[in-house]
This record gives sequence, structure tokens and C-alpha cells, in this order.
Amino acid sequence: MVSARVLQLLWLAFLSALLTRGENENHLVVAPQSPVLEMGTTFTATCMIINTAEITSDDLYWNLSKTIIPREQYTKVNRSALNVTISVSNENCEWLFCLCKEVSASIALNKGRFIHGILLKKGYRPVKPENLTCVALQEKIYISSIITCRWDSVGRQTKDVPTKYTLYLTVTLPGEHFNKTTTENRAQITFSMFPSFMELDIWVVAHNQLGAVESEHLKKESDCFVKTNPPADVRVISERSFPTSLLINWTRPIDKGLMGLTYQIRFSKNASQSWTYVPRGETSNDIQSFRIQNLQPDTVYVTQVRCKNAKESYCHWSDWTHGVTKRTPEDRPTGKPDLWAIISQGDAMNERRVQIVCKDPVFANGWIIGFDIKIQGQKGKVMNGSLKWERIPVNRSEEDYHPTQRKFDVLKDIQLPDRKSVKVEVIAVNSVGASATASLVVPEKGHERSPVEALRIWTQGGQLWLEWKPPNKSALSEYVVEWVSDNQVDWQRENRSTRLTAIKGNLKRFVCYSVSVYPIYSGWPGKAAKMEAYLEQEAPLKGPDVRLNGKPGRTHAELVWTEISARERRGFITNYTIFYSSDTKHTVVVPANTTSYTLTSLSGNTKYDICIGASTIAGLTIGSTHSFTTLKYEDGVIEFIVVGASLGFLFVVIMTLLLCVYKKDVIKRNFWPQIPNPGESTIGNWSPDYPLKAETPKENSLSGISVLNVDVCDAKCVFEEDKTSLSLKKDKYLSEEHSSGIGGSSCMSSPRQSVSDSDEGGDIADTTASTIQYSSVVASSGYKGQTPSTQPQQAVFSRSESTQPLLDCEENPDMQEVSRQSQHFPTQSCFTHATGNKDGNIRLEAEQQNEPLNFCLLDKRLPTEEQSPDWLPVTPASSYMPQLGGYRPQ
Amino acid sequence: MNGHVKSMYFQQFMQLATTLLTVLLLMAVNSTRTVAASRNQQCGNSLQQTLKLSRLTQKESVDLIKTYKASQGEMSELICKVSVNNVPDPNISGLEPSERIASIYTHLQAFLPHFKRVYEQQTDLQLPTSPLLTELTRISARSRSLAAVVNSFYQIIFPNLPLPEPAGGATTLPPPQNIFQQKVYGCVVLKTYKEFLSNVSRELRTIKSKVCRRRIPINTSFF
Repeated sequence: MVSARVLQLLWLAFLSALLTRGENENHLVVAPQSPVLEMGTTFTATCMIINTAEITSDDLYWNLSKTIIPREQYTKVNRSALNVTISVSNENCEWLFCLCKEVSASIALNKGRFIHGILLKKGYRPVKPENLTCVALQEKIYISSIITCRWDSVGRQTKDVPTKYTLYLTVTLPGEHFNKTTTENRAQITFSMFPSFMELDIWVVAHNQLGAVESEHLKKESDCFVKTNPPADVRVISERSFPTSLLINWTRPIDKGLMGLTYQIRFSKNASQSWTYVPRGETSNDIQSFRIQNLQPDTVYVTQVRCKNAKESYCHWSDWTHGVTKRTPEDRPTGKPDLWAIISQGDAMNERRVQIVCKDPVFANGWIIGFDIKIQGQKGKVMNGSLKWERIPVNRSEEDYHPTQRKFDVLKDIQLPDRKSVKVEVIAVNSVGASATASLVVPEKGHERSPVEALRIWTQGGQLWLEWKPPNKSALSEYVVEWVSDNQVDWQRENRSTRLTAIKGNLKRFVCYSVSVYPIYSGWPGKAAKMEAYLEQEAPLKGPDVRLNGKPGRTHAELVWTEISARERRGFITNYTIFYSSDTKHTVVVPANTTSYTLTSLSGNTKYDICIGASTIAGLTIGSTHSFTTLKYEDGVIEFIVVGASLGFLFVVIMTLLLCVYKKDVIKRNFWPQIPNPGESTIGNWSPDYPLKAETPKENSLSGISVLNVDVCDAKCVFEEDKTSLSLKKDKYLSEEHSSGIGGSSCMSSPRQSVSDSDEGGDIADTTASTIQYSSVVASSGYKGQTPSTQPQQAVFSRSESTQPLLDCEENPDMQEVSRQSQHFPTQSCFTHATGNKDGNIRLEAEQQNEPLNFCLLDKRLPTEEQSPDWLPVTPASSYMPQLGGYRPQ
Repeated sequence: MNGHVKSMYFQQFMQLATTLLTVLLLMAVNSTRTVAASRNQQCGNSLQQTLKLSRLTQKESVDLIKTYKASQGEMSELICKVSVNNVPDPNISGLEPSERIASIYTHLQAFLPHFKRVYEQQTDLQLPTSPLLTELTRISARSRSLAAVVNSFYQIIFPNLPLPEPAGGATTLPPPQNIFQQKVYGCVVLKTYKEFLSNVSRELRTIKSKVCRRRIPINTSFF
């Protein structure tokens, strides 16, 4: 450290000596020049004033990356030198300037002479490289003359102070030295010839401007760095007389004179990824063949070999050879076939359908060509009709031959009475020989022995696990675990000590399996313990389809839905959720065993959308949406109202009728007052100057009603023909009499406008004011203002041309009704005829031709033109003044 | 203090000295045995290395002759049957192992200039990509390596005996030759070298049973 400071001062002195020679000399000098700083350390620089007494070190200051360094970091050396100490923390390259305050004008003018800077490069010390490895590959029959070395570069470096690596290699004995420098973490060294059997010393030096560090030395015989090619010409030989072994031959990849080799052999069953390694101790050095033993017969094996220098254990292994596939020879089956019976409901009562099924032995050791079967009855009778074994050939494809999952063959399908048991024996046969005999008893129904207890099933690690407690029977020999789904059956056997096992079959996710555990008592299956289980559950594929059961009520609706099919269920249904909404949304959760639900408290006359979601533990799936509208009224309400109203009306009618019956006289008196009998009247007593008639206004003094038939063209005609009578007609139109006459019905009782001929009637009324009431109806073929027609009087009719009072009618209302009807019909028909033609000409013609038709019935009764004046004066004065007035609003 | 007491002290001193001497002697024996065992192992390893390298070099020389013949065109068998002077003797000289090993070393050194000359001659006769040139380079380098290994082996088994330099001074190379002579010369050099290497391998196998084992009893008998 001291020597560094001395060097720094010497450097300063040298610099100052150099700078004093120039005329445009700089008055500030910083030392050290261009330093390389180690990260995490501190750095001290010195600024010295030279060739001027104008300033002192008090006028100096330091600037680092355009930032003034605080004075706390300054150290005044003397009057002309100032130190600064900074910590090296930033990796970036920075400029450190020494500057002078502008204490005088000359300094301000010569700023350039009072500034000096140095560039600070920063970096990290190199760290020792690790994991140095070198390799020389085999090249044809020799070893490559290029050796490649790699190492892990440790530590950090900056771009300003990069770390370089130099690979050194020394061939010890001749003393040859090689080296190669690089910035990467690999390098190659090329020899004139690979120095076989020579000792090599290899190491790497990491170095930069801050220092150098050397890696561990690799000092080995050169052959240890050699990675040879893998063994060549690997051949695997299968010998029929050795069904459990394979012989492997190969050729060494490199000459023995160059390198002694040791080998490693591994093999695996075809399609298996797990390798079995032959122990190293069994493969002696420099062998070129090996026999793998204890293999399974009739099994495909893949074999690989690799090699390395035999001398050192840490030398490089070659790559593995390509896998050579070979099948071991066949052998007779070892073990028994896996015999089982699938029992289901028989065709007839008290019968069972028994399918005898069988899997190949676990070690079939060849192609199973058939099964020999013998079925014995209860008392030793052979069920299949022969004491000999029956051969059931099996025909399999290559795919079935070595399946990943053991499949089974159905050997027999028999109908077995419930009260019978059979014993089945089966032998598997391949091309080499036969297996041991497997036997199974199908017991009588209901006579099975006790089942396992406390069966429990759960999923773990993608497998279905079962646990059970054994039955309390000592004769238990094994268990059969059977699983069924979608009519697919499979089973596996477990030994008698098993309490916990996983189903080894290829189970599908989201499929319901019915899992049964059968205890086997020396070939006799016991009673099964069953449970349903899923390997994995998810939300159902579809939700339930909901519909209404019947019609919705006003406040309730009954929903029904069907269960989701087993295929679409994908899990155990935990519950159903009913979603229904109108303005607001509601949900109702119902148990999984429910398929109907009645929604209550609904609003009347409201549309509801409903859907149902089915939940499993994995999720919810909502079915299709159904909409319905609740009733406005509850069922029967309308019927009740209608019946009530009807009954009320009926009651009113009946009461009215009763009232009419019982109060007939009163009603009669009120509606039909007693009219004096004209026969009993004394006309001479009647005074024409009856004051009432004299005081009645003209309009109201109408004793007879004239009805004026006005056509559509009336207004036009009015303007054209008799504008003078406009005001009069206007008054008439305003009256808008639609009907007239006593009894409210007349020939003119029609929607056509009618006018009471009051102005004419006025005169009449005046003249007939003293007469007894008569109904006088004037029918005119034209209208009031029309020029008098050729038969003006024909259109005038009276209800009665007689001056007789209506005593007869009053006394015989039936007769009057008949008369009225007889009056009514022709009028209507004529009127219809007249109005039915839109064409005015036609109508006019019809009117002209059928004028009598309009009033056909009355025509005979109508007075002639000569008669009219006779009866008009004698028209009796109406005694029904209020009635007349009452017709007006009609 | 009487004479009896003095005699007793002396006896005690003598006993102590004897014990100490015995301990020192045992330590020295043990140390020598360790050194001897280490040296013996070193000898075996070095000899083994030399033997392997000589075998390899011999094999490569056989291959080289095949390549050489293949690359010389017609009459290749004929040219290899002609004898040439100024080629090192393939036989190993000397009576003692040290002399014979030294002879191996000097022979290896003597062949190097010949390889260089053959290489130069064949460079003119062959294409630059000819495998013969590569193999000539290899055999030359291998000879140097083998010489270094033999030298090392010699240093191990005869640490106090300097390896003698070639007696005849610099190796005598043949004068300028025509192409046929060059071809003949090259083949003779390679054949002689192969023969020499065969002798070396045989010699090293012989030495293996003599040198490395012999030194152990020498060291042991010393004590």
C-alpha cells in the first residue's frame, strides 16, 4: 500500500515535470492516471497544483460524473495538493475531475488550465474457474488431435474490465506446453498428434486488469480425456434353448493398443423407459460379448452398450449405442391363468347367467393358442357333457398379443340355476406347453360366504385406492377386486394379506365404476362388498332439462326434471340448484335425489325463466332455460266470477219477473195510465182553448211526427234547390231524430238521419192541439226542402189515419205488437234496399220505382193526398207531452 | 556415591541408549521400505507406460508401412525389399539393462531425422491431403514421446546414471536421391523402425521382470 502511494507520488512528479515544459501548461494534475478500480473498494485520487501560486488547494474541488463531491471526502495534503476518497460502487465508467473555483478573473478566462480529469474504470477481481473438463473425441481409428476444454466462469465482470481465460496444457514428459486465451468458457488446443499414454496437466487462469487466478489442475493420463465412439456392430442373439437369456456381441470402437476399454450394458423391456443395468463387476475389461440372463421368455428387450477407458473410473463414457431390439424365445406358461366368473341375471327365473372368463397367465411366455376348460357340477358331473378337457381356441391379433392391459376371453356362457354350484378348471396353452390349472367354484346363490367389511374407496395420485377389513374367516386365500363400468368388466387379484390396494387397470376419468371386493375361500368366492367410485370427477357434461308439470298457477309452479344420464354425469351429483328469475334472481338448492320441486310465492302474471344446475364436487352445470308465465288469476277465479255474475243476473231477472208478476197492476198503472174511454167522453165538454196547448212552444207542440228521409246528397241538394230553407233544415238536422213514433219503432227507425217535421207539424199541432194523442209519422220520399214531388202525400203516412184514440192498442198490446212488427219488416227491407245501393242513380231509380215498396205495408194504410187534410185538423192533441220531449235525445 | 551406584547409572544409560537406537533403526527401516515401495511403484508405472506406448508406436508403424506401400503406386513391394545404407540399426545394443535402455533412447533419437527426411521427400511426392503425411507426422511425434518416456523410465530406475548421448554424434542422412531412391529409402526407414519397435517391446517385457523387481531386494538387503 505504501509502495503504491510512493509510485503515485512519483508519477505525479513525473507528470508535473512533463507539464511544466509546455507554455500552455495545465495547472492541475490528478494522479493516478487511468486507474482500474475494484468494485466495493475505496479509491483515493490526488489533485496537485503546479506552476502557479494564484490558487491553493482550498480553491479546488472534485467532480464525479458532473456531481460535486462533498468536502467531507476531501483531504488536504498541503497547500498545493488535495486528496479525495470515493467508494467504488457503480459499475459504469466515470470521469473524476479536479476543478478550481473562479477566484480570480484570470482563472475564469483560463478555465481549461484549471481542470484535470481521469477516467475511472471499474471491475471485479477474477474468480477461480470451476469444473474444468477436457475431452478429446475419437476420430476414425485414432484420437483427435484437438482437445476441447470447458469450465464454469465464476464471479462477475464488467465490460470495462473483462475477464479473460487462458487455458494451459502441458504434456509432462516431453515438456510440451500449449495455451490458448479466450473470453469464453471453452477453448481448444491442437496437438500435432494426440499424446496417448502421456500425462497431461491442464488448468485455466482467469485474469483481468485487477488480477489473475488459477483453476485446479487436471493432471491425468491423456487417455482419460478421450471419449471414444460407442461400440460398433452390436448384435443381439436369441437362442431357442435359452428362453431367458440373450447374447450380445459387439466390436470395440478403438484399437486395443490405443486404449483398453471397459463396458456397460443396459436393457429394458420394449416400450418401457426404465433401464436395467448389468452390474459393472460382471462386465470384465475388453470383452466383446455378454450374455444377459434371467430375462422373461417371449419378451422384447432393447439392449444398449457403451464403453470407456478401462484404466480410470472417472474417464469419459462413450455415448450409448443405438438400441438393438430382440425377443427372447418362447417358453411354456408359468403360473396359472386368471380365471373368473361374471354372474348376472339369467334368462329364466331362478337362473343365473354365468360367463366364465379368463386372462392369460401373468407370464404367458408365448402366444396363448387356447384354453382347456372343464366344468364340473355339484356331484362331480361334468357340465359340458364330457369328462375330457374341452379346448377353446383363442384367436388374437398382434395387438392383443402383448397388450399393455391384460384382456380376457369369455370361455363359456352358461345358464346356472340359483340352487346349483359348479367348479370350473382352466389351463392356458401356448406353442411350447400348458400352464398349471386354475380352478374356480361358482357357489349357489345366497350361499356365498361373508364379505369383506368397511370397504372404503378414494382417489390418490391418479389411482383408485381401496381399503377393507378382512372377514373373520381363516380359510381366506385371496381377494378379487372387480370393477364394472358401461358393461365393461375387469378384475385383479390380491393376496390374502392385502388390506389396501390400488386398482391397476386403466381407469377412465369421469366414469362411474362399481367396484366390488370378493373374498376367495380356497376357490370359493364370497359375497361381494360393493361401492361406486369415480377416478376423477368434474362438472356434468350437461344440466338437467327442466319442464313444468302441468300449467303454472298464479303463485306456484311445479318443476320436474330428469336425472342426467350416467355417461354425462361425470361425478356424483351432490345437489341440484334451481335458478328462477323474473325481475330478481332466486336460487333454490335441492338434494340430489330430488327430481321435482314446486316453486311457491311467485308473482301472478309474471314471466319466469327457470333452469336447473346439477352439481358435483367438481362443479356445476346448468341445463337449458325454460320460461313460463304465471296466471293472472288463480284457477276457478274467473269461473267463480262468471257463475256469480250469472247467478246475480239470474237473481235480478227472477226478482224483476216476480216483481212484474206481483206488482203488475202498479206497473201497468205507471206505464200505461188509464185513458178515458172515448166512448164515455163528452167531446162537448172539451175546450179547445186548453191553456196548456196554447202555451206550448211550436217545437214542442208536435202532436204528430213526420220523418224525413234524407239521402246522402241532401246537403248538396239543399244548396242547389232550396237554399232559402237552409236555416230551417239546419234546425231539423240538429235534432237528429233517429226514430220516432210511439213504441220507439217505426219504418224510419234506422241510422239514417231523420228529422221531425216540426215546422210543418207546428201548424198541425196547432190545429190538432185539442185532439186526442195520435202518432203521426210523415214519410217523405225527398227531404223537406225538396220541390214538391208529384206524389207528395204518398210519402206521408200516419200510424193511424183514424182519429180514433189508441184504446184498442192499449187494451190489446199483443195486437199492437203484431201491428208494429208488420210495420217494421217491410220498412227495414225497403230501407235496406234503398241503402244497399251506393250508386245514387240506382237508388234514385229504385226510389222512384219502388217508392211504394219503401212503405209497402203502410201504403195501403196511408191516407191519400186528399185524405190528409181531412185528418190533420182532427189530430188529437197529445196528452204525452213529456214523452214527446223524451224522444228528442234519441 | 560408590562404584556400584555408578555402575548402575551406566547400565541404565546403556539401556536407554539401546532402546533409542533400536527405535531409530526401526524408523529408518520403515522409511526405506516406504521409499522403496514408492519407487518400485513408480518404476512399474513408468515401465507400463513405456511398454504401452511402444506397442502403440509399433502398431502405428505397421499401419504406416501399409499406408506407405499403398501410396507409392506400382512396385511398392519391390521397393521395400531393397536395402539402403545410413539407416539406424534396428537392434538394441548393450549388455546391462541401463545400456539397453540407453540404446533404445539413442535409437529413437536417431530415427527422428530420418522421419523428417522421409516426410520432406514424401511431401513432394504426395498430395497435401495424403494420409501418409499425417501418419508420418504422427509417427515422428510418437517417437519423440516414446523417447521422452524411455528417458523418464531410465531416470527412475537409474537416477544417478546419466543417459549417454549418441556416440556417433549427429545422425548421418543420405545424400540427395532420385524419386525411386526416395521411395526405397522411406520404406526402408519405416521397416527398420518397425523392426526396432518390435525389439523394443520385447526388451521392455524382459526388463519388466528384471529391473523393477530387482531394485526392491537391493534396497531391502541394504538394511
